[in-house]
Amino acid sequence: MNPLSLFFKKQYAVEDKIQRLLRYLEDMGQLYRGAYEAYLDGNYDDFAQLNEDLNKIEKEMDDLGLQIQMTLMRESLMPDSRDDLLWFLTKLDKVPSSFKHSLGAIAIEKPKIPQGFQDPLKKMLAHTHDAVKALAHATDSLFTDLRAVRQHVEEVGRQESEVDKVEYKLLRTVFENETFELARQYQLKGILKQLGAVTNLAEDVADAVLILATKHSA
Amino acid sequence: MLDPTVLIFLTSGLFLGWSLGANDAANVFGTAVGSRMVRFTTAALICGVFVVLGAFFSGTGAALTLGKLGSVNALGGSFMAALAAGLTVLWMTKLGLPVSTSQAIIGSIIGWNLFSDSYTDISSLLKILSTWIICPLLSAVIAALLFTLAKIFVRKIGVGLIRMDGYTRLALILAGAFGAYSLGANNIANVMGVFVPVAPFPDLQFGQDFSVSSAQQLFLVGGLAIAVGVFTYSKRVMMTVGSELMTLTPLAAWVAVMSHSIVLFLFASERLEQLLANMSLPTIPLVPVSSSQAVVGAVIGIGMLQGGREIQWPRIYGIVRGWAITPMISCLLCFIGLYFLQNVFQQEVQRESHYLLSTRVLEKFQKEGIETTGLNQLSDSTFSSSAELVSAVSSIVPLSSQQGLKVVEFSLQNSLLITQEKIASMDKKGLSSIQLDALNQLQGQTFNFPWQLGDSLAEISSEWEVRGGGVKNKLHDRKIKQKLAYLYRNF
Repeated sequence: MNPLSLFFKKQYAVEDKIQRLLRYLEDMGQLYRGAYEAYLDGNYDDFAQLNEDLNKIEKEMDDLGLQIQMTLMRESLMPDSRDDLLWFLTKLDKVPSSFKHSLGAIAIEKPKIPQGFQDPLKKMLAHTHDAVKALAHATDSLFTDLRAVRQHVEEVGRQESEVDKVEYKLLRTVFENETFELARQYQLKGILKQLGAVTNLAEDVADAVLILATKHSA
Repeated sequence: MLDPTVLIFLTSGLFLGWSLGANDAANVFGTAVGSRMVRFTTAALICGVFVVLGAFFSGTGAALTLGKLGSVNALGGSFMAALAAGLTVLWMTKLGLPVSTSQAIIGSIIGWNLFSDSYTDISSLLKILSTWIICPLLSAVIAALLFTLAKIFVRKIGVGLIRMDGYTRLALILAGAFGAYSLGANNIANVMGVFVPVAPFPDLQFGQDFSVSSAQQLFLVGGLAIAVGVFTYSKRVMMTVGSELMTLTPLAAWVAVMSHSIVLFLFASERLEQLLANMSLPTIPLVPVSSSQAVVGAVIGIGMLQGGREIQWPRIYGIVRGWAITPMISCLLCFIGLYFLQNVFQQEVQRESHYLLSTRVLEKFQKEGIETTGLNQLSDSTFSSSAELVSAVSSIVPLSSQQGLKVVEFSLQNSLLITQEKIASMDKKGLSSIQLDALNQLQGQTFNFPWQLGDSLAEISSEWEVRGGGVKNKLHDRKIKQKLAYLYRNF
């Protein structure tokens, strides 16, 4: 048993909860990719099931986030660190919401994915998944080893820029294609924007992680 | 049974202790409590316990320097000196000027010296005044160094945010405990130092190995008064200090508390002095320094390291002004208070002392390197005050401040009779068997001047010899002088 755990029981308890939160985040990233790919492959039942699983996890993550916030408000941590963490958790909370809204839009709109869009979209999904994983690692480093934060944050940035490139290409294709009706063009644009928004958010949160790491390592 | 008037007189020391606890504890735990890094009850408990421990176990060193500056020799005088200092601190605090008991008590002692026409040892005064400059400077340097090292260390270990938070909190508590111990050790001299020469408690012996001296009992009581001050009134001050220093990061707050504690410890630790002396290094004077000065110095040190832009210089100037005004007000209050206590309340504020320049005294002067040419015209003259004596002597021969102190010491008439009963009843813990033998050989003898007892003991045994010269002998000599001072009081 680590003798320090006697002194830092409260801190360790918050750390454990944050670790669980990050595992949920990674699971959501996996489910999001799986659900989206299932839709692209036409496996609508799988899509529905994975979307449901994602919603369940999103709910659990929401509850856990609230628990952490309550713990931080009630006890442990110095005010400075507490305020920083509350600010950060509020930011992080937007990532699972973006997964939910992106899949929710697909579930409601059931867009017809044009021929040739599947592979680039899967590429975007792979980069999105990697960005979320890197974000989870960056956040994990914020609580385990501040020195490692930067490299993970940079990885999030790289993945985000890959997503942007594919997104831009697909958007051009959508609007250059004269056979698409305007309504369809805007529907596809919405879908692409929502997919791209996940990595944009991940980058925003990663920047917040870097700010906190810099502040607390000096 | 203690005389109730003694207890009444001691209340002013307790009041001063209370105000020290109420105000100076904020320098130790203010940042941590004010910014809610540490709970007030936790801080107060730790602070109270460690202040008492520091006062009891390490309080003697700094108290001796205060004694040198002026030996307030009557309980009434000590009462007024402590009361004037306490009132000044309270007044300044109400005006919003963060001052320390150190400045106030120095002013009070000078006030007593002026009132009683006693000689003020300028070298001791300068030594204390110089620490008012050295203390914040040293604190600033230590803080800058410590902050740099702490930053490197934090970057190197790279622990996570939450653990770092926990470690910082623990470090703040430990630094606070160290700070409270140092505060007790260093500043107890301010609270009870003036009562040491007139300590009203008999020495207590517990079994063979453990005894508590009169001064230690005083320091224990003073330490408890400080602890009460911490519990009853320091919360508000801590909250103020904490919120004023909110721009400090937790790490910087820890560095500020730690640097303050190190400085206070440096100026209070006899063991460190001994270690330095053994290594033939210059020693640090054991002087009561201001914890406010130490904290302000530390914050400036950290601020300067970061470019100095965030330092609020007007506030610093205000604080420095407070440091200069405090001793003056305290001196004036003490002087006026002594006048009323003596003439309206008919209380003894100074013991009558007589100084005689006998032939033997003049011979002693010569032996101690004081120029005596021309002093024969003062032979057998008596003086009723030490200031008058030094003035008369220095009008004939030039005297350094140190020599002035010696002239006072050697001319003071105080008849000592060495009796079997008094030897039997005294605390012999600090005396070696050879020293005790030498004392026993002097049974039945009377000495008109205390130093004659010291000289006679030194003639019988070299273990009573004051060697003089050199840093290494400083500690030995101080111990001998402490033992002799005990004998002078006892007989």
